[in-house]
Amino acid sequence: MEQTLRETIRNNPKKILGVNPNDAKVSLSYLTVAFVSLLIGGILGMLQGLERAGLIQLPSWLNYYQVLTAHGLLLLVVFTATFTIGYQYANLSHSFGGLLSKVRKLAWIGFALMLIGVVMVTVMIVLNEASVLYTFYPPLAAHPIFYIGLVFVVLGIWACCFGVFINYRYWRKNHPGQTTPILAFFAMGVFILWFFASIGVTIEVFTLIPWSMGLVETTNVMVGRTLFWWFGHTLVNIWYLVATSAWYVIVPKIIGGRHFSEKLIRLVIILLVILNIPGGFHHQIVDPGISQSVKFLHVFMSLSIAVPSLMTAFAMFFVLERTGRKLGGKGLLGWLKKLPWGDVRFLAPMIAMISFIPGGAGGIVNTSNQLNQVIHNTMWVVGHFHITVGVSVVLTFFGICYWLIPYLSKRQLTPKMNKIGVIQTYVWTVGMALMAGSMHIVGLLGDPRRTSDTTYGGHEIAVSWIPYEMVFAIGATLLLIGVIIQVYAVFNMMFFAPKGHTEFPVAEPEDDATPAPLWTERWGLWIVLLIAVISMAYVVPIVDMILNAPPGSPPIRTW
Amino acid sequence: MKQAMYGLILFIFLILPPVATFLESIMIIHMHMQMPLLVFSGFLIARFFQIRFPQFFKNWNDNGIPGMLLFLIIWLYWMIPKAMDDALTLQFVEIFKFFSLTFLAGVPLRDSWGKLGSKAKSIVYVFFTLKFIIMGYLYIGIESQICNNYLIIEQRTLGWGSLAFAACFILYGFYWVFTDQSEFKTT
Repeated sequence: MEQTLRETIRNNPKKILGVNPNDAKVSLSYLTVAFVSLLIGGILGMLQGLERAGLIQLPSWLNYYQVLTAHGLLLLVVFTATFTIGYQYANLSHSFGGLLSKVRKLAWIGFALMLIGVVMVTVMIVLNEASVLYTFYPPLAAHPIFYIGLVFVVLGIWACCFGVFINYRYWRKNHPGQTTPILAFFAMGVFILWFFASIGVTIEVFTLIPWSMGLVETTNVMVGRTLFWWFGHTLVNIWYLVATSAWYVIVPKIIGGRHFSEKLIRLVIILLVILNIPGGFHHQIVDPGISQSVKFLHVFMSLSIAVPSLMTAFAMFFVLERTGRKLGGKGLLGWLKKLPWGDVRFLAPMIAMISFIPGGAGGIVNTSNQLNQVIHNTMWVVGHFHITVGVSVVLTFFGICYWLIPYLSKRQLTPKMNKIGVIQTYVWTVGMALMAGSMHIVGLLGDPRRTSDTTYGGHEIAVSWIPYEMVFAIGATLLLIGVIIQVYAVFNMMFFAPKGHTEFPVAEPEDDATPAPLWTERWGLWIVLLIAVISMAYVVPIVDMILNAPPGSPPIRTW
Repeated sequence: MKQAMYGLILFIFLILPPVATFLESIMIIHMHMQMPLLVFSGFLIARFFQIRFPQFFKNWNDNGIPGMLLFLIIWLYWMIPKAMDDALTLQFVEIFKFFSLTFLAGVPLRDSWGKLGSKAKSIVYVFFTLKFIIMGYLYIGIESQICNNYLIIEQRTLGWGSLAFAACFILYGFYWVFTDQSEFKTT
């Protein structure tokens, strides 16, 4: 039914006025940092690819391990975190009709804290004081300022978490008996997971600061690694949750359909939040000092994530098929042709979703004890996270840019920019297929990761890896081209695209859909269950690691 | 009835010898995972008995108190270290454990919880919170080995696990008391 102008102004002012400019500024600032980090991280990524292929030799003042550390931290922490905050705060502002001013303040405080932290971390890496790789767990020790910088980054994230919690509470209090708009519900899931994920790494970093300063002689490496992966793997699922928010809610609108049952979407979010953190243990599946039975139990805990993931896969394909058929698609696969493949806002997240099929399957290999023995610490793992993070997550993020940034900057997505986006998506897909594909294969052949030179004096097995490493270099070069196009597109849409109105594409439920149940809003209960699952997973190994602790390790600097 | 079927499947899964042996091989998992799961299977199976024998529950558990007492007695019995030892060494005790936790604890718990008033519910809740705290304190603090089948380190782990559960109970208690429950009712 058509709304009158008056009703529209009263109930949905954003439709006419667009985004609140103050909220847009918050999101655009975070997105700016995200894409500057992407550019630097992308250049560093290509340098690594070329060095691995033996095509260049990085100078001693900027060696492979510095580049590797910076690439990992800038892309896995800074790019993803700032993009997520920019996007989720835009979602929150849209869903709640604007942010509270104190929440906006918290977002700015978070921004400042994160910038300070990132500068401290980056300076230490550039000075060659912190070549400890993205994983930064002991016994490799960085300069204390590196760890202090990380504390600032975490504090910045916490400021944003509290902002979301405050705004959610405020909305709930003023809307009793109503369910939160679905994108705001996603934001709660993301930030709760972020908060609890970062507790592990915060404890770890606080033990590492006195250790790296020399105030404490040794540290417990096992506990450090465990606390790191508490955070490290959960971070992966935070990105995934952010990506699914676009898959479930944005993609159906773009293709002209409706979203899947809100009850299921909410259940998926709740399950991802509750079950996620113990998944980190499969990163330690070949670590000594954790008993076989505990590892066995953790396989179940890690694999439990497959349940909401498969629910998402089935729900999404259902939505795609239903919409395709509504648009006139006939036959078994005719509906696929009806989907808007020429629209980058659909194409990019669609390729992202498809890549999650091999990505997820590879994840199951990593989680299984016996299969992990074959691929542990090989290039397979690098290939795995480039296909999951580099395609499933990042392409979704790229796809989001093409409507989010014009919406925030009150500009338009031109057909020309859409075409550039489509080209970018194909360049990225081909580049990543080449790079991640060859990484998977050469990993199975034994090529180790995190090593600048793997010629091993010309040994015949090592020589057999070289052709694959050349393919890394080709893939990495294509990916840098993709990064450049994407960064150009982002800043063009931010500052130069023609002014105009861009819609915030939120899908509606089906007309006959049952309303989302209110019990899903019991975040207090989900948090208690989350803590219970964490304690089930962590009490046994951590008590064992502390009470039966081996002699600790002094700080080690291998460079 | 679907629920009862799921409960039965869970029960059969839990008593499969390899599953039971695995769950019982770690003390904390024996007490804090296998036992609650057995109770949970009974909780689901209870639907079958409630539908089949409504008169029995009406006669014997009209206000929920007898059922809750039975549940508490059975649960507390299995918190005794000697009982856990017996379940590992004597097969008939293990069979009794499977039966009692499922049918004498899980089933009455389901039937009683809904019948209890809010005061009785709060008492049970506080009792369990205190029980976890005390167990945590005891299992962490005690110097000697209290189960023949488990090492002292497993005992300590169980203690920390109990404290973690106590923390969850306390958190949920606060959440329950300090949130406005009318927020969750459809207007």
